[in-house]
Amino acid sequence: MTTPVLEVADLSAGYTGAEVIRHISLTVGGGEVVTLFGPNGAGKTTTLRVISGVVRASRGRVLYAGRDLARTSPTARARAGIAHVPEGRGIFFGLTVAEHFRLGYRGARIDPRVVYEYFPALEPLKDRRAGLLSGGEQQMLAVGRALARRPQLLLLDELSLGLAPLLVERLLPVVRNYAEDSGCAVLLVEQHVQLATEIADRCYVLSHGDIVLHETGARLAGNPGLLIASYVGQQSAGPGQQGDGAGSGG
Amino acid sequence: MSEVIGFLLLGIGSGALISGVGMGVVLSYRGAGVINLAVGAFAMLSGYFFWAIRSGEFASIGTVPAVVLTLLFSALLGVAFELLVVRPQRSATPLAKLIAALGVLLALQAAVILAFGQSAQPQPTILPAGNVIIAGVPVAWYNFIIAGILLVIAVVFMALYRWTRFGLGTRAAAENQAHAMFMGLSPNRLSLANTVLMTVMMGIVGLLSASITEVDSQTLPLLIVPGLAAAMFGRFTSFSVTFVAGVLMGMAESLLLYFSTESWFPTNQGGPIPGYDELLIFIVLVVAMFLRAGKIPARGDVLERRLPAAPVPRAPVRSALIYGAIAAAALYFLPGGFRGALITSLISAILLLSLVITTGFLGQVSVVQLALGGVAGFAVSHFATNFGIGFPWAPIMGVLLAAVFGLLCGIPALRVRGVSLAVVTLAAAVAIENFGFGNTTWGGGVTGSYVPPPSLFGFNFGPNASLHGLDGIEPSPLFGWFVLIVLVLLGLFVCNLRRSGLGQDMLAVRANERAAAAAGINVQYTKLLGFTLSAAVAGVGGALLAYNYGSITADSYDTITALALIAFAYISGITTVPGAIWGGLIFIGSITAYALQDWFGIQGEWFTLIGGLLLILTLVQRPEGVATAMFYGPRPSLRALRLTRRGGGPPGGSQIADRVGEAKVAS
Repeated sequence: MTTPVLEVADLSAGYTGAEVIRHISLTVGGGEVVTLFGPNGAGKTTTLRVISGVVRASRGRVLYAGRDLARTSPTARARAGIAHVPEGRGIFFGLTVAEHFRLGYRGARIDPRVVYEYFPALEPLKDRRAGLLSGGEQQMLAVGRALARRPQLLLLDELSLGLAPLLVERLLPVVRNYAEDSGCAVLLVEQHVQLATEIADRCYVLSHGDIVLHETGARLAGNPGLLIASYVGQQSAGPGQQGDGAGSGG
Repeated sequence: MSEVIGFLLLGIGSGALISGVGMGVVLSYRGAGVINLAVGAFAMLSGYFFWAIRSGEFASIGTVPAVVLTLLFSALLGVAFELLVVRPQRSATPLAKLIAALGVLLALQAAVILAFGQSAQPQPTILPAGNVIIAGVPVAWYNFIIAGILLVIAVVFMALYRWTRFGLGTRAAAENQAHAMFMGLSPNRLSLANTVLMTVMMGIVGLLSASITEVDSQTLPLLIVPGLAAAMFGRFTSFSVTFVAGVLMGMAESLLLYFSTESWFPTNQGGPIPGYDELLIFIVLVVAMFLRAGKIPARGDVLERRLPAAPVPRAPVRSALIYGAIAAAALYFLPGGFRGALITSLISAILLLSLVITTGFLGQVSVVQLALGGVAGFAVSHFATNFGIGFPWAPIMGVLLAAVFGLLCGIPALRVRGVSLAVVTLAAAVAIENFGFGNTTWGGGVTGSYVPPPSLFGFNFGPNASLHGLDGIEPSPLFGWFVLIVLVLLGLFVCNLRRSGLGQDMLAVRANERAAAAAGINVQYTKLLGFTLSAAVAGVGGALLAYNYGSITADSYDTITALALIAFAYISGITTVPGAIWGGLIFIGSITAYALQDWFGIQGEWFTLIGGLLLILTLVQRPEGVATAMFYGPRPSLRALRLTRRGGGPPGGSQIADRVGEAKVAS
């Protein structure tokens, strides 16, 4: 088996001294789409924030293509090919659409045409301020810009938040196709269970900071009871259950 | 009429300097998120540097190398400012950043006075002399040169921000630092570049100002007030609007100067009334605020830190009795100089108590408190000398007058808050000091205004009362005890306020105005009442200060002291009564300052310098203030806040900690 793009080992992190996630381990391989489910406050967003570096881990490691990221700044992580689309879009309301594509560090080149190819709806809006776009257009801009950077690891936080289901149905397959075409690893936090299980290779369920379930997307899509049980807490992280799903992914 | 045009042109040069300071404010705000009160002080420092290496103080080198060296020095100044002040304050609230910049301003001013003395130095000009006669008025060429150079700078900055990748990056990082990092931008480096740009530009302003003014510790640093007004017109974002506003203000000031020679201009003691240009700037600022302030863009930072928690006082009456008894004994037994310094400390503590109400409880930074104290002080003086009204009616009416002024100052606070309010009250303080107190009719003029000692039924208990301390020297401990009783009563009143429903409402307004309004709290009423109460407390302090001095001038209540008052309030803890009292004990002129001077010969300016540096350190290390930390122990809430700062976290993190803290102390 080749080195996974992202390997999180025994990770704990939190705010103000209180741990939000505890001893989390997960992997995402190249070309794979992995979804992180979990109720509110389970630690999904925190996990992504630790991976992109804005929250420091109190224990454990984050390996990116086999390299430990402990001493790498968020900026350097982004430049190394990690793209994080945070909850609430992650774009700049004061900048126009076109300015978002000119934005970048020295050496970074973003081809707007790539974005317009993914999301043709953005092209006629290129001189409009991002703050004046609709929620869906903003999310397209955020995802489009992230994809145009050709990342090796894409972290997507709640794409569906505040969006019409129809739009989510258009966004997620774009991500899926990109992962398959480019070999990018995608870690997705999502509340929209049905869609996410359909496009995900594997899924983890986080609850109160622990991983309580690890399954293939297909199995989870076919057996919604499993997910519901893990959400409401009936299902503890039984060794059999976890073992079942663990090896079957990427 | 043609002279009017001539005078308008004469104001272009000094107007352009205002523009320069205003653009420095804009640059600081866009690049680092700081409303930088120290911008003018940077120009001053560069001016002094140029003077020192050119005039023979340190060296005497040619103009061109001196200019190059000065700009290099300005750049290094920017690096130091960024690394020592801006970066450690990255995650602080805009208000804390403003206060840190205030610390820089105070420290730089004090350092310059210590190094080069109080008197102004004739800085060698770098611009050619010579006049051109326009409409019958000789207008110096340098006016146009200075304006031209700053116009070019304004255009360059505009282009830089609009079209370059650096400008886009700065705008993005200003909006949301975390998102900028996710895109591979480095907010730290962008901020550094912006800060250095700012200090280099201020270096240029410092060099150019040589044609208009000498270098001293006041002129350029206080140019920040009109500079802020210009920047406010530009909404702290637009270089072009800021430039134009600054130049127009300079022209208006020049025009006023011309009008002041006309026969119809209001006079005071034979001369034109003093302080009219400060009044003009204040009016301009208020207009700017009402027109533009609502649209000042907020900055999104990785982590917002709030004001420190305001714990409920523990056993205030017991503490008041114990410490009051100690102070009462000290007032009798201490030697004269120490006794006087202790009395000053107690009065300063009363002035600081008023800041505990406005800033600590209500969350609004008001620079005008000392000036409000001055209103009461001058009222006491003039009621006595003009109408023969003495104690207690004169101070009571003075305090009421201060309260009315405080109420008026509270009105802008209904519309603007936080940083903008600090800016407006700063301008108000400068205007009251120059226009109000500088005037002989209702202020002190140049010679000062006499304040008769307080006496009741013929019994004098002023500083010159017949009962002397143990060593038989004035000031009288009677006056000290009187001040002490007032302080104890006011301290208990503020403690009680914190416990009362009104105090809870104030803290709710401080935490979140909209949420407070949604919870049914009348935000307007709470704010206005808070400002009025605070002004009354400041008025008591100001009246006592007047009695203590015996004769007062505008300098007794000057703006730099007002700024230092806020600095020391933060150092000792702006949210609690013990914080105010400890602040009084270490303030300028306090017993600590006196002891340091008496025993070690440390001058007052050292005190301001150390105070400014301490302020920056306090904000970085102990935002709750030294005395508050000491008296209310390392509570979970405070510890949690410290952890947040080290570990970094999402915007939610500290708010949760803050709320936990407030809940904790409220229980």
